[in-house]
Amino acid sequence: MKVPIMKNVLAANEVIAEELRTWFESTGIFVVNLLGSPGAGKTTLIEQTLERAGDRLRIGVIEGDIATSLDAERIARHGAPVIQINTGGACHLDAAMVRNALGQLEVSYLDILMIENVGNLICPAQFDLGESTKVAICSLPEGADKVLKYPAIFSAVSAVVLNKLDLLEHVDFNRINFKLSLAELNPSARLMELSCVTGDNLEEWLEWLNEGVYKAKQQYPRGGESRSPA
Amino acid sequence: MRRIGPKITLMHEMAVTQQILSLALAEAGKVGASAITRINLKVGEWSTFEPTCLEFYFGILARDTAAADAKLAIETVPVTYSCGDCGERYQPTGVAVLCPKCCSTHTGLVSGREIYLDSIEVEK
Repeated sequence: MKVPIMKNVLAANEVIAEELRTWFESTGIFVVNLLGSPGAGKTTLIEQTLERAGDRLRIGVIEGDIATSLDAERIARHGAPVIQINTGGACHLDAAMVRNALGQLEVSYLDILMIENVGNLICPAQFDLGESTKVAICSLPEGADKVLKYPAIFSAVSAVVLNKLDLLEHVDFNRINFKLSLAELNPSARLMELSCVTGDNLEEWLEWLNEGVYKAKQQYPRGGESRSPA
Repeated sequence: MRRIGPKITLMHEMAVTQQILSLALAEAGKVGASAITRINLKVGEWSTFEPTCLEFYFGILARDTAAADAKLAIETVPVTYSCGDCGERYQPTGVAVLCPKCCSTHTGLVSGREIYLDSIEVEK
């Protein structure tokens, strides 16, 4: 006997993610889900953001890693509220982990919540965390073929940060191919090429964040539901 | 700075296979089935879930359940885009998502990311 079911296997995650999204929107927080390989510069980009915009934007951070609190310690040195999630083997963050973290991080007064996902270019794109936007960060030493090799990630993001631009002369990276493949796969993605080491072009990233914060606040002015869902 | 975790799961396929199995067993229970013979699953090309890996975990997780002898039948769903300007639906060649009919860039993915439990086949 055949029994039709027609159910999304990830529904459990998506229900929690929607609950988080509704809450984030009602409090006007701009939530960034930051995706990228290990070593692409995810934590460094957050550190640079705190360094350069931490005095005018209230930024909180959720750090996802398989093990250790090394990244959260780096963020904490900048004085930002941070919580470390150790996934203990799981290769991505899911919405329940984020909800759990929100119970321990005072986020309702924040302008930006940065969620640094586990370093991995595969599954983090598949698990909705209720974020406002997904951003992928890729760096020159990784090679220009990453967009082609990981289309699931690069097609799901609204912006791509190409980091370590200071290494352009030292590594074999075909910038044109990178740009072309991104334009083919995800023409609406905003590409920002920068260096977190020299600080080159970081203004563009900060400006992009500002726009996000502005939009989040405009759409959902503060004063809505402020109780965390956690 | 505070810490949460660890949450013990290995590779995302294992957690998702458990989810598939639980859903299937629950539905089989509702119709009073004694055994599940087949689980029909649809998995998008860009779902990030690897069929071989799902099958491997299924073999382990289904032991001693009513789905122990079930076949996990996985149908791959191709990546499909639709054009916001001319309405064309197409499977992109490579990663080029430009509409092949009108060259528009206003296109969006309509399927190929899902993981979907379509149906089960059971014995009463």
